[in-house]
Amino acid sequence: MKNPLIRRIPRELKTDWHKYLVIIIFMVIMIGVISGMYVGHDSMLAAIYSGRDELNIEDGSFELAKRASQAMLSDISSGEKADVRAYYIDKGNKEADRKVKEAVEEELDKNVRAGIEGAVRAQLFSFGITDEALIKSRIDEAMKNSFESALKDARESSEFKKAADEAYEKAHEEVLKEVDEKWDEVADRYDLDDEIIPVTVTVYEHFFREESEDNNGDKEEDAKVRIYKSDSEIDKASFNEGRAPEKDNEIAIDRMHADNVGVSIGDSINVGGKEFEVVGLLSYVNYLTLHESNTDLMFDAFGFDVAMVTPEAFDSLGARLHYNYAFKYDEAPETKIEKQDHSESFMKALITQSLVYDNELKDFLPEYLSQASNFAITDIEGDSAGSSILCYILIAVIAFIFAIIISNTIEKEASVIGTLRASGYSRAELVAHYMSMPVIVTLIGALIGNILGYTAFKDLAVRLYYNSYSLPVCHAVWSNTALVKTTVIPLLLMILINLFVIVKKLRLSPLKFLRHDLVKTKRSKAMRLPRWSFLKRFRLRILFQNIPNYVVLIFGVIFVELMMCFAFGLPDSLDHYAKEAPDMMFAEYQYVLMGSRDSDNNLIETSEQSAERFGTTNLMYQKNVITIREGMGSGKDESVTIYGISEDSKYITLNKETKEDSLFVSSAFSKKFGIKEGDVISLHEEYENKSYDFRVLGVVDYEGGIAAFLDIDSFNSAFEKDADDFSGYFSRNEITDIDEQYIATVITSKDILKVTNQLMHSMGGFMEVFKIALIIMSAALIYLLAKIIIERNEHSISMVKILGFKNGEIGSLYIIPTAIVVALFAVVAFVVGYFLMTGIFHIFMLQMNGYFAFYMEPSSMVLAVVYLLIGYAFVSLVDFVRIKKIPLDVALKNVE
Amino acid sequence: MEEEFLEIKDLKKSFGDGEARQDVLRGMNFTVKKGEFCVLLGPSGSGKSTLLNIIGGIDTPDSGYVSINGDKLEEMNEKELTLYRRKHLGYVFQMYNLIPNLNVKENIEVGAYLSDSPLDVEEVLATLGLEDHKYKYPNQLSGGQQQRVSIGRAVVKNPDILMCDEPTGALDYKTSKEILSLIEDCNDKFGSTVIMVTHNEAIKNMADHVIKLRDGIVRHNDRNENKIKAMELEW
Repeated sequence: MKNPLIRRIPRELKTDWHKYLVIIIFMVIMIGVISGMYVGHDSMLAAIYSGRDELNIEDGSFELAKRASQAMLSDISSGEKADVRAYYIDKGNKEADRKVKEAVEEELDKNVRAGIEGAVRAQLFSFGITDEALIKSRIDEAMKNSFESALKDARESSEFKKAADEAYEKAHEEVLKEVDEKWDEVADRYDLDDEIIPVTVTVYEHFFREESEDNNGDKEEDAKVRIYKSDSEIDKASFNEGRAPEKDNEIAIDRMHADNVGVSIGDSINVGGKEFEVVGLLSYVNYLTLHESNTDLMFDAFGFDVAMVTPEAFDSLGARLHYNYAFKYDEAPETKIEKQDHSESFMKALITQSLVYDNELKDFLPEYLSQASNFAITDIEGDSAGSSILCYILIAVIAFIFAIIISNTIEKEASVIGTLRASGYSRAELVAHYMSMPVIVTLIGALIGNILGYTAFKDLAVRLYYNSYSLPVCHAVWSNTALVKTTVIPLLLMILINLFVIVKKLRLSPLKFLRHDLVKTKRSKAMRLPRWSFLKRFRLRILFQNIPNYVVLIFGVIFVELMMCFAFGLPDSLDHYAKEAPDMMFAEYQYVLMGSRDSDNNLIETSEQSAERFGTTNLMYQKNVITIREGMGSGKDESVTIYGISEDSKYITLNKETKEDSLFVSSAFSKKFGIKEGDVISLHEEYENKSYDFRVLGVVDYEGGIAAFLDIDSFNSAFEKDADDFSGYFSRNEITDIDEQYIATVITSKDILKVTNQLMHSMGGFMEVFKIALIIMSAALIYLLAKIIIERNEHSISMVKILGFKNGEIGSLYIIPTAIVVALFAVVAFVVGYFLMTGIFHIFMLQMNGYFAFYMEPSSMVLAVVYLLIGYAFVSLVDFVRIKKIPLDVALKNVE
Repeated sequence: MEEEFLEIKDLKKSFGDGEARQDVLRGMNFTVKKGEFCVLLGPSGSGKSTLLNIIGGIDTPDSGYVSINGDKLEEMNEKELTLYRRKHLGYVFQMYNLIPNLNVKENIEVGAYLSDSPLDVEEVLATLGLEDHKYKYPNQLSGGQQQRVSIGRAVVKNPDILMCDEPTGALDYKTSKEILSLIEDCNDKFGSTVIMVTHNEAIKNMADHVIKLRDGIVRHNDRNENKIKAMELEW
């Protein structure tokens, strides 16, 4: 026989449908949003990762100055280093031979001519001829007649041969000497002496042209577009919309760029002076973000575009052909370190091959370092960490509300419980019975929430990604993370919290239930109240009576305020960061150079007065905080920018001298990880198994990033760089006298703003929705809590009605005390919520890269309280209607 | 009907400490035979409900013991006590304590669920005259009808002992007699031992065994040879 108590559940759901509906809606929204975020997240990553295989992403690419011969390509594919020394010697010898030959020929010519002239003069002199004109004409004649044969004779003479051989030999010796002398420098520059393990690759032609794009017909360049052929076998594209170009006047362009500039399929755009019809919106597997150059701090989906045209259309374009080649390792490396080893080894081989084939290596970029293909992935992987914390808090709130509802029910049903226990129902059976409601409601919420998560909310989350990046089409994939985080954990939370409350409540003996003796501590004598008016005293009594309910209420209100702080604080914090960001720059300009020396090996200098050298490198800091998302792909390391600061710097003040094992940390770094002066921190290289320990000398007030500072000498010695090495210049003004080719990137406040603007652009719309959802949920929460208070007092309300109190009076008796309490609590709860949120935000930040502190505008603070009060006013109105509806017989029917 | 089924020995129970100490049971001794209709009679405060609760295993004595079929309750742990109540006892209280969102039939099934050998629910409904009301909810019933349901819930278990704590306390004269008659029927028909607590002197006339309590001790312990039917009771 099934336990007949089960049949109560659907009836209870039906009777109290509005209460449970609110709770279920609450859960559905929450679970749906969180599930959507995880499903969107996992689906997106799945699409990206499967795209990497299906669309044959490169392992790297390089650009040559001219087209490579088949022989060169096959040598590059072998991964072997070319014999550069032999090449230099051979090249030197050829040059030397040419020079020797020239010299020898010249000498021979001179000697033969001198010999003929001497012989003619001697002969004429013996004939007594002295007429110089006659002599000259005779010489010319002799030259004409016998120069060639004389030259031939001379050339064949053994003396000549010997001399020439000697000259060649000497020249070759010189070449060898010269190569040997210079070898060290050459080898050093390209690490040619290192033994490498050859990495065999397959090389693909992946030429492109860069044309100007006019997408609005105003004959002005709107963007630079990088065009590839449609028949490429590597780095292929997936189509979000439309198809690949088939005719010569058709083009497919990046979807994100098209969105940004308002181009859609069927539109006509002008590329390189030719009209093309847009037939497809695509996402190239290696351009998930439109980084024009890998050194760009931020991508630019407005001013840069990638496109695809037919091979014929490609050939008809006029811009310079970039001899770009993509390669794939025959054996794919797996770890970051392996990738680094492979690419280094391949690059060395490539340099030697391009040398010996007289080609020039213009660019080399292994895929794992390519921002265009990795930036979005890293960002997506690190995403959606904070939402789960919020989810759990909210689930805890609901579990808490449930616990209150159930404990009220238990109190209400005390005598039934007593009877059932007396009849032989075990405690476990009753616990299970009272637990079934929250579990069922959670399951319903989770089911609907998950369905929405895989559909509507997934699309919402995915749209958020599409707003930011050039991503391929994705299909919902099953997400274990979503299941665990949106169903298993909420269910566990719900079960644990309710189990705790219910077990505690049902621990009493059946007799106590029968006697309604559920309070552990006996109430002592009634408190004496001052001689106020009767209604005032009544109200005060109600207030005292409901103290346990108000305790619950304050927790509820704190949760509401916590949510308000989140809803208002997150956009505020972003805004605040965006506003403060430009001020966070060390200097108006930060020039990062390709290296500290120019091609002539001279240090790169500038005449700009305000310019100051600095060194920089990136190390990783291992987060030792165990996070909920640990192991979820966001990485356990935080990237730290290490700066080497010039002595007496105008930009950053280090108030103590650093050594190679000590440094200052930025205030953001210090706050994020709680690092204090005197601590020892360990930083390690990302791609190498090398780590450094530093003692923290102090904190530099810098909120702009996770950074650490040494003076430049300590910096150079810590990282084994030359004493005069540096990475770039801080400057107050623009630097104009450094050749562009030496500048890797220039960071100005605009670039910092680009980052925050992008963040706002991606998050902005979502934030508003989130805010509204949170406000609705807050109102729902207050509604539930206030309902509980009225329900608990239902009996007394009914009784005072019987006594003849009017609804208005009863309303003022039961609503005003709660209103006063809520108003008082709202302020207190805001303060508590604010500090809680600051802490939660910190945990949230720990899981992300970078740092910015939680911030709320004063106006938001006021609004957070006001919204709650407005919400409560509305709920009071509902409560009043509810009081009116309480029937008179409630009190009579339950008389015991 | 001859065997001693229930034995109460030197049962003592007090509440409170010091001056507030109140001895509710002050050494109570009696036995009840299987199948007997036993009435515990006494004024308020005589300890009859406390006694019933101790017999029912929902309260414990300070000293003395209750033994049922030779099993002493004091030797049972909580789990065994629950099992004891589940397998052997049926409870009827002055307040009906029905589950509001279960209908009549379901409320009775709540009892049936607990038993290994429950009576047929329909038969119980018929016996109690509740057939026409079986799909009604408690709040659609009168007090008497509700008490019938609560009796049904207790009886359907086919309990060895039916414990009734002032079952007619909240009912009028006529309904009270009907309820008593039902309990009597159950005693006859299903053979349950009935222990009923009441302060209504008239009820003793329908009992096999009358125990009068006052100030925590047994004043009279009589077997009633001339018992009459419940419907014939007058008060």
